This record gives sequence, C-alpha cells and structure tokens, in this order.
Amino acid sequence: MRNPIKAALACAGLALATPAFADGHLSLDGKTIGVAVVGTQHFWDREAFNGATSTVEMLGGTVVPVDGGRDNQVHADNHDILLNSGVDAVISILGDGAVEPKFEALKNAGIPVFTVDHPSPHAVNNTTSDNYYMGTTIGRYMADAIGGEGKVAVFNAFENALRICGIRAGLWKYVLQDYPGIEIIQPELAEEFANAPEDARKKTLDLLSQYPEGTLDAIHVGCWDQPAIGVVQALEEAGRTDVIVTALDGGPDTLEIMAEDGSPFVANVAQQPNLIGSTSATNVARHFAGETLLPQTYVDVLPVNGQAEAKAAYAELGYGSLD
Amino acid sequence: MRAEARLSAWLSDLVGYLPLAILIGVLAYISLNAPNFLTLRNLELVLMQSLPVVLVCAGLAVVVMAGGDDVVSGGIDLSIPATAVLSAGITAQMLTLGYPLALCAVAALVACLVVGVINAALVSRIGMTPLLTTLAMFVAVVGVNNVVTASRRINVDHPWILALREAEIGGMPLGIVLVVMIVGTLFVAAHQTRWGLNLQAAGGSRDAAEISGINPGRLVGQSFVVAAVTGFVCGFFVLARGSGSSPGVQDNLMLEMVLATFLGAAFSPRRVVTLWGAVLGAVLVAAISIGFKSMGVNVFWTGLIKGSLIVVVVAFSAMAQRGR
Repeated sequence: MRNPIKAALACAGLALATPAFADGHLSLDGKTIGVAVVGTQHFWDREAFNGATSTVEMLGGTVVPVDGGRDNQVHADNHDILLNSGVDAVISILGDGAVEPKFEALKNAGIPVFTVDHPSPHAVNNTTSDNYYMGTTIGRYMADAIGGEGKVAVFNAFENALRICGIRAGLWKYVLQDYPGIEIIQPELAEEFANAPEDARKKTLDLLSQYPEGTLDAIHVGCWDQPAIGVVQALEEAGRTDVIVTALDGGPDTLEIMAEDGSPFVANVAQQPNLIGSTSATNVARHFAGETLLPQTYVDVLPVNGQAEAKAAYAELGYGSLD
Repeated sequence: MRAEARLSAWLSDLVGYLPLAILIGVLAYISLNAPNFLTLRNLELVLMQSLPVVLVCAGLAVVVMAGGDDVVSGGIDLSIPATAVLSAGITAQMLTLGYPLALCAVAALVACLVVGVINAALVSRIGMTPLLTTLAMFVAVVGVNNVVTASRRINVDHPWILALREAEIGGMPLGIVLVVMIVGTLFVAAHQTRWGLNLQAAGGSRDAAEISGINPGRLVGQSFVVAAVTGFVCGFFVLARGSGSSPGVQDNLMLEMVLATFLGAAFSPRRVVTLWGAVLGAVLVAAISIGFKSMGVNVFWTGLIKGSLIVVVVAFSAMAQRGR
C-alpha cells in the first residue's frame, strides 16, 4: 500500500514543480482568497489551513484568514465577514450544517466557494480524503484486531451532522455487518467537538466502570482521532489492557501514541491535511484559469496497522523519526 | 492648590474618556484598513452577529444592577448562556420530533424559568454566592442540554426561526428590531418603574435599601428570573444564527457576555454596569472582532490582540475610578 502513496506524494511534488506553475499558468495574482477554518487547535484543522493559505500566497494571492475557534456557529458567521469584505473566492475548511446558508449567500453574490471535507451543493469543488476507503479499512482492521468478535463501544456524535462522518462511520458499520460476532454497544457515545481529548477521557472512564474487565473489547472513534487521545489516557489510568482503540486521521500526535510499546491504539488511517488544503487552493487557481473541476477531489490516505506501520507512516508523512 | 485640584480632576476625566477613545481609535484604524468596514451592510452584519450576546448581556446587566457590581460578591449570573443553549436544544429537539413551534417554545420557557427560579432560591433564600451558584448551574444546565440533544448537532429549518435571521420589517432586519424592542422594554422596566428603581437601590446599597423598606433578596431573586427569560429568547437567536443547535456554543457566549458587560462599565460615567453599557460593549466587541477578521489579521494573533485591548480599556477605567 505504501508505494502508491509514495508515488502520489511524488506526483504531488512534481505537480508543484511543473512548468505549469513556473510559467504562471496557474496564478492567483491580484486575487483575494478568504480562508475560513473551523478551528486551529487541532493538528488536522491547522495543517489544512496552513496548506491552503501558504499555497494561495505561493500562487500570488492575498489571504483573508478567519478562525472559528472550533465553534461551528462562529465558523459559519465568519463567512458573512468574508462576503462583506469582498473576497474573490472562499476556501472553507470543515463546518457543520450552519455553513450551508452562508455558502448559498456567497454563491448568489458571485463568490465561488471551495470546501475542504464538507461536500455542499453550493460549492464548486470539495477536496477531501478518500473517506470511503478510510471507513472500510478501519472497519477491517478493527475486526481483525479483536479476532472478528466481541463488544465495541463507538464515539459517533457526528454521523448525522457531518457528511464526512456519515461516510466514515457508515462504512465502518457496513463492514461490521459481515462480522455477526461483533456487537456495537448502545447507546453510542457522543464526543464533544471542542476539548475532545479531555471529554472523551471522562466518558471512557465512565464506560470502563460500566463494562469491567473482559466485557469490552474495543473502543472506536467514528470520524477522527482527537478523542482517542483521551480514550488511551483513560485506559492507562484504569489499568485496562484488554481493550484496543481504533480511530481515523493519524496526525503526529496520535501516530506517536500508536508507536509506543504496548499501545492499545492499534489501527488508524492517516490523512494528509496539508496536501488537502494545498490542493483546494490549487483548485481555486484552476477554476480561475477556466478549467472545469470535478465536484470532488480525493487526496490519498495512508492506512496504519500497528506499531511498526505507525513509525513508518510518521517518517513517511514528514513528521520526523520515532525510532 | 485649587488649580492643582482642578488639574487632577481634569486629568481624571481625561483618563475616564480614554477607554472610549481607544476603542474609537481602533475602530477608525480598522475602517481605514479593512475594505467595506464603514458600510451600512457591515453595520448590519455587526449588529446581527452581536444579537445573541446583546440579549444575554442585557440579562446579566439586570442581575448585576440588583446584586451590585462586585464580580465576586455582587450580582452575577454565568448560567444565562447555558439557559440559552438549553432553550435552543429543547426547541430543536422537539421540532425534529414534529411538535408545533408554540409548544416547543412553551417547553423551553418552562425549562428556563426552572433554571432562573433555582438560581433565585439558592442565592436569595439559602444565601449562596452568585458566582459559584451560577457557575455550577452553567455546568448542570449544559449537562441537561447534552442529554436533551444527545450532544449532537440538530438542524432547524422552521420558517419562523429562520425569519429571525432573514426577514425584514420596513427595510430593517426583523432580528435587530425585536432585540431593540426587548432591550428597550428592559430599560424602561429598570429605569422608569418603581420595580426598577428598587432594583437599583438594592444593588447600590443593600443596607440602605433594607432600611427604606425594600426587600433586596426578593429583587435579586427576580433578577435571576428575568435573566433566565433573556436566555430563553437568546436560544431562538442562537437557532436562527446557526440554522440549528450545535454543541459547544455556550462557552464562547459566556466569555463574550462577561467581557462585554464589564467592558460596558468602562463607558458609564460612574464606571458601573448599565444596560446600555452592556449592549454597547457587546456591539463593540463584535465590531472589533469582525474588523480584525476583515483586515486579514493572522488568526493565531487575534485572541491576544482582542484580550489585550479589553485589559487596556478596563485598566484605564479602573484608574479613572481611583482618581475620583
């Protein structure tokens, strides 16, 4: 699986170095691009934001950045500010249903909207990871890790609120249909959007007291992995070694946890948020160059199964070395 | 000697005007640097975005008027933003289940009144500190709301709720008109009625109020109920703004409510929390934060800039008060 990823990275690198850029074929010269991000506390959000803003600037554009502070309403409101300040296009990173009317207003004002991880009928293009692949892969890895049977608790607050989470959690469940021995504990757990690790830590401690040793096999986080940091903390605090953890995103913080000896965090699918943000900015330039974009641009992901692969992924994604 | 006293009074007056001058200066700087900042459209945007904060600030101002403006021992109600999200959560959840809006609103109002009455009882009957009581209530009410909404985002597209964001009356956005009417009503109640004068007397000096036959405990209790009602109304504006209820809204709302209300005190001649000061504070905080965003200020610095600005303004206000 790794070689295609390497190839994709190399292609992306080549694309950035091609004469298309050098001869000014793609350019945002004289354009002002609003970049709205839901928050900058989390690695994923921040990297997607950095990727988008640095690429806009590299292409000669000016950035008007706005940060929602991981509050979906503030994030949505920020689009009004971009509309009013007369930007030429908007890149919007994440966000829940509250942003839809704002996208519509921008579109009606003739300002094209490019989304990251948020498919919308009002957007020209959505750049995202291959969420379908992420959801099924983590389902297979988790099922394998518990031997194809057992009880699983899932943090899944956003399956109905965010489409990307609907895909990831929905396909995870789809895979589990073929494992009749795996039972998803009801009701599902609901993690908070902000302060996710601490919130998940408390909820996991409650869960562990409800399900003593031998009655719980895995805890999965349905859409991302910041809560998994708190889940691992809680398992360590409670001295539980019978429960494995799986989640999605694979930033340096969670890959480091996976790379520890005896880590309960056994599987993940790593994304490339910086490349996603950067690709979205390139798409803006393509749009202004008159190219027709597909509604979705998919950026490759890197499945991570176990400690050794976590260390390898950490190095491969350019986060440094864990050896 | 007399000249010196006059000079010092003049200086203290000057320091007193500094908070306002600094904010006006910052706004002037923003309007020179941010495109479209000084437009009617942007003014409307500032007002629209500040509506939820304005409502909870008005509620808090009433509580502070009744309890006195010492942040620790005086009147304060930190639970208003939690009441607001509870109102939004109950309404959103019940609308999703198919109940009519009027019934949802009644259920939300009852829940908010229960919060207000519990606050009132704990503070004025049992004598608990408002700061701790309402902080605990904040946590508890957010917890209840997490149960009601299962900590999930709920979309709302009821036309009456969206009207708070989109409808206009005579060219003015309906939301702004309604909030002006609500704040105006509270102002009349607090300044033109016997109840309001008693409320201010209770907050000014509890002992003096008791001697003149006013029951301060009762007024403090009533102020918590009024605050809960502003939270109830705010819930609908939260729903309108976000096309539904998103978890976590209360945190930012609480922070902005406290900042704006006490920042507002810097604009009052006597440096006390007033209704108009609180409302002005809420609008100015929104204007400055929108201004910085329109200017394209680095997102990693905006928190520091906003925070420092508020500290400077409040510090000058405190200096002016000491100079008196």
